[in-house]
Amino acid sequence: MKTRILGVVALLAVLAAAANALFVVPADLNQGDAQRIMYVHVPSAWLGYLSGGVTALAGIGYLWKRDLRLDAIALSAAEMGVMFTAFAIWGGMMWARPIWGVFWQWEDPRLTTTALLLALYAGYLLFRRLTDDPHRRAARAAVVGLVAAADIPIVHFSVEWWRGLHQGPTIGSPDKLLTPAAPSQFVIALLAMLGAFTLAWAWLMIRRYQLARIQWQLEEHGRLGRLSAARRAATSTSASVQASTEGAP
Amino acid sequence: MTDVWYVVAGWVVISGGMALYAVTLLRRLRGTRERSLKIRRGAEAAASDEGSE
Amino acid sequence: MTGARADLAIAWAIARKDALSELRGRQAAGSTLFFAALVLLLFGFALGPDSRKLAEAAPGLLWLAIVFGGLLTVARLHQVETDDDALDQLARYPVDRRAIYLGKALAGLLAMAVLGGLLLPVVGIMYSVDLLAAGPGLLLTLLLGAIGFAAVGTLYAGVTVRMRAREVMLPLLMLPAIAPLLLAAVKATTAALAGDPLGEFWPWVQLLAGFDVIMLIAGGAGYGFLLEE
Repeated sequence: MKTRILGVVALLAVLAAAANALFVVPADLNQGDAQRIMYVHVPSAWLGYLSGGVTALAGIGYLWKRDLRLDAIALSAAEMGVMFTAFAIWGGMMWARPIWGVFWQWEDPRLTTTALLLALYAGYLLFRRLTDDPHRRAARAAVVGLVAAADIPIVHFSVEWWRGLHQGPTIGSPDKLLTPAAPSQFVIALLAMLGAFTLAWAWLMIRRYQLARIQWQLEEHGRLGRLSAARRAATSTSASVQASTEGAP
Repeated sequence: MTDVWYVVAGWVVISGGMALYAVTLLRRLRGTRERSLKIRRGAEAAASDEGSE
Repeated sequence: MTGARADLAIAWAIARKDALSELRGRQAAGSTLFFAALVLLLFGFALGPDSRKLAEAAPGLLWLAIVFGGLLTVARLHQVETDDDALDQLARYPVDRRAIYLGKALAGLLAMAVLGGLLLPVVGIMYSVDLLAAGPGLLLTLLLGAIGFAAVGTLYAGVTVRMRAREVMLPLLMLPAIAPLLLAAVKATTAALAGDPLGEFWPWVQLLAGFDVIMLIAGGAGYGFLLEE
């Protein structure tokens, strides 16, 4: 029941932080109300990366301990990752349109990096579906997750460099909220949203993990059921063969 | 679209998406738990049948 | 022989075996080259006919063609193993898994380098690019790009070789993973072709080299876990 309490707390935290971010905090001087999107965009992006870290670590943990529970954690984190990364991209686009006039900007390293992250996650989840054996699936997924995790910092570097060589957009940057010069009210509102979202993430992770565990048990049960059914069929045919040979003198 | 609608679109999709996922997750969880219980009860019944024979 | 030398010898033996089978079955390799050249041709139709624009886009198009051809190449190098369950047999030997990975990656590198090298004159002719002006920088970029692609491709091909839907799974996994390689290789190639006016060449090459090192390590580590299936 601790999870249920966490869920309620997370919900209340999100509602409170959201109300603050939407109605209490004043609009930005330069970016206007559009800046409020940052309060959902930044936490989503943060959770996208956090989930990636968990997926990779859980995968490595599985390769080490061969415990399928770690694989269940990896799967749950990957689903979280897809969702929050997609949110981050959506938020980024909704912010970009009023500020820059376009939905997409190749020169913005964050948008392009996040798109790549989404592609990596989606590939990971699709990839998992194609293997049925739980241990094989866990091992393969862990390897793919490992390489993807190694890739992300490289992607970051390369895209930052890429951007650095062109004149980046000067009017308004997503970074504004994260610089030390930002007004404290904005920073506090962002941190509150970050904390609330992270609580929600934790609750979702736990529930998704529970689902994964039960699903695996059902899978196992189905597999054992088919095995014993096959065994029974084999013994009954041999028994009937025996009976018919005994019956005929 | 004025700026406000972009803010709305951003917030609605993100929080709505999270809420939708959460609700779906809880439903799936309940469904699989029921199935798991049913199977366990069925196994127990079968075991007690075999025991009483 | 000490452990390390034995492993290297095994890696070399595997690389030779793959290289020889590529040579013998060069129809497949040749078809891949043809496919990549066709891709370049089609890019011309899609983005042309302005020759200046095509010349500007040439580095990007070259590397895209290398990537698409490369996907077929790494898939083929692993297909050979499943046909006779050779990979399973290989895995039963008490060999350091990384040696197997290294051998296959080496073969992949060779195949990719040849592919890229043969595509250079195609690009030079079709897009009116002066390749000789680029000098050794271009070749270095090609080599480093081939290493990186082979490093990632060998691992992912090994992962997907026995899966359902592997024809789409390999590109699906590889393309996001090699995005930074593509980026850096194109930038370095562009700089090399232009005579490196802004001094960009070496930073991008360093990024490429960094990518190669990280992916070789990650690939080697991961490959071992696959063969334990």
